Amino acid sequence: MADAVCAGLAGKTPPRTWSRALLLTLPIALWSLFMAMRGLMQPERSLQIASGLTAALMVVLFYMMMKTSSTYRWRRWFFVALGVLFPIGFIHNVMVLRGSMGIPIEEMIAGRTPFCFLPIPLLILPAALTKTLVFPGSLLPGGGMAGAGMAAMAGLWLAITLVVGKGWCSYACFFGGIEEGMAALPKKAQWKKLDPRLRLVPWAVLLAMALLSLALFEPAYCLWLCPFKAVSEYVAARNTVGLVQNGIFVVLFGALVIVLPVLTKKRTQCTFLCPFGAFQSIFNKTSVFDIKIDRTVCSPCVLCQKSCPTMSLTDESIKKGETLMSCMKCGACVDACPKGAAVWHIRGTQVAVKPERARLMFLYAAWAMAAMFGGSIITQGLATILQRVI
Amino acid sequence: MKWPSSKLGYTVAGMTVLAAVLVPFVLMGLFTKGFTKLGLHVDEMYSGGPTVRTIQEDGYTVTIHKAVYPHLLQTEKPFVQLDWKPVNALPQHVSDAVDVDGDGQPDVRVSFDVPKDPKTPLRADVDALNPRYQAMRNVGKRKFSELIVRVDDAILVRIPLTGR
Repeated sequence: MADAVCAGLAGKTPPRTWSRALLLTLPIALWSLFMAMRGLMQPERSLQIASGLTAALMVVLFYMMMKTSSTYRWRRWFFVALGVLFPIGFIHNVMVLRGSMGIPIEEMIAGRTPFCFLPIPLLILPAALTKTLVFPGSLLPGGGMAGAGMAAMAGLWLAITLVVGKGWCSYACFFGGIEEGMAALPKKAQWKKLDPRLRLVPWAVLLAMALLSLALFEPAYCLWLCPFKAVSEYVAARNTVGLVQNGIFVVLFGALVIVLPVLTKKRTQCTFLCPFGAFQSIFNKTSVFDIKIDRTVCSPCVLCQKSCPTMSLTDESIKKGETLMSCMKCGACVDACPKGAAVWHIRGTQVAVKPERARLMFLYAAWAMAAMFGGSIITQGLATILQRVI
Repeated sequence: MKWPSSKLGYTVAGMTVLAAVLVPFVLMGLFTKGFTKLGLHVDEMYSGGPTVRTIQEDGYTVTIHKAVYPHLLQTEKPFVQLDWKPVNALPQHVSDAVDVDGDGQPDVRVSFDVPKDPKTPLRADVDALNPRYQAMRNVGKRKFSELIVRVDDAILVRIPLTGR
């Protein structure tokens, strides 16, 4: 407390001693080690080393979060590693099994299309009305790239969503890291004035894609708009339509994941396109953790607003002392606030009363999920690289 | 007045942390099992529909699937899928008259070559002996409802229905 008063930052937690930070890291260290055990027990040396490195990364980053009381910049290392290593591991697997990033029609008929979480909201209407999954995958493990099947991905998504809500977009999404990394490159944003109405586009995309998926009985977003097809897999082009679809993926990836994040320092694909992110925002209302602005100490300097990667803070929301429902709990605003007015919060409790306790509880839950799900993906990507090196 | 809601908030937060610990051991499996029990199935435009019956040929079988009809604005034709398997028991050239609807009369004659290399593209000719089925010439894998492909140990032919 004395340190905080000295620093003049009422809501800011001062840096901890290394021993206290280490003690707080212990549960995550044990968890990360447990998660790494499966890889460590495999005969392949590359997988053993990758599992060990991943566990070490997760522990070191969590330790730094505890030591510095800063969240965003350490979480970003994990998230960028996840975003970069996912395509490496995935594309390598695809090339080994199939020899191409394009999914041939045979694989779709065999139900071996890999299922990611992005089409989940688009499958709900056809599934609810006709009990049909409009995706060429397998419900249960289907071999090859199908992995554990759609049921396992749906189960995993539901379980992690129950724990972190919209925090999925900051601690579990294996696509967002690329644009977060690109957004971190420049020191200052070149484009600072962004129309706030653009934030509504993901909701429009969600509605349009959900209705199109129902009408056409196909995963419309995966076929037409997903930028990440450019770094994962896509329908092998059999005709002009296929070529147009693949062209759209590349243009959207280049614009929304590479160029615009560099110019704006925002996660532009997440903010202006992603229908899954819009859908996931609903779970911000069910999560017990949120971010609040303590109006008693807020100046307002709008540094929080500027730092938010998804434009989830507006003048109005700051006046109300809260974030918009698109907030993905990355912690950028909390770290950026010079007065400690932006704080982690548990619903039902008073704002700015023990905010560090709220942060700790959220981070234990979110980091456990990150180590479990993201950690396994990082391990796979690292193992792919190590196979080439060793 | 704030105390009960604060207590509730911390209790739910604590339960959330506990739930995180339970995800890999209990929750994920529980939700996955729950999802499979919803009775959902993959769209038949991809899976080809349930099997109706199997015809025994000389050393191989021809499996006939239930006809698949497109939903709403789906841009495919209705079709029926026939599977020839196992591939290694098929002759170099297949030309079978198949009774698709089970009325004792052949409905289509399907002809295709069986290349030894599984990566060689397949081509099929289908003669319609019943106007309900659409004839096809030198068809590859252009559409889900009109194709010949090799999937694992079977050669699948999808024949569009004419609606007559």
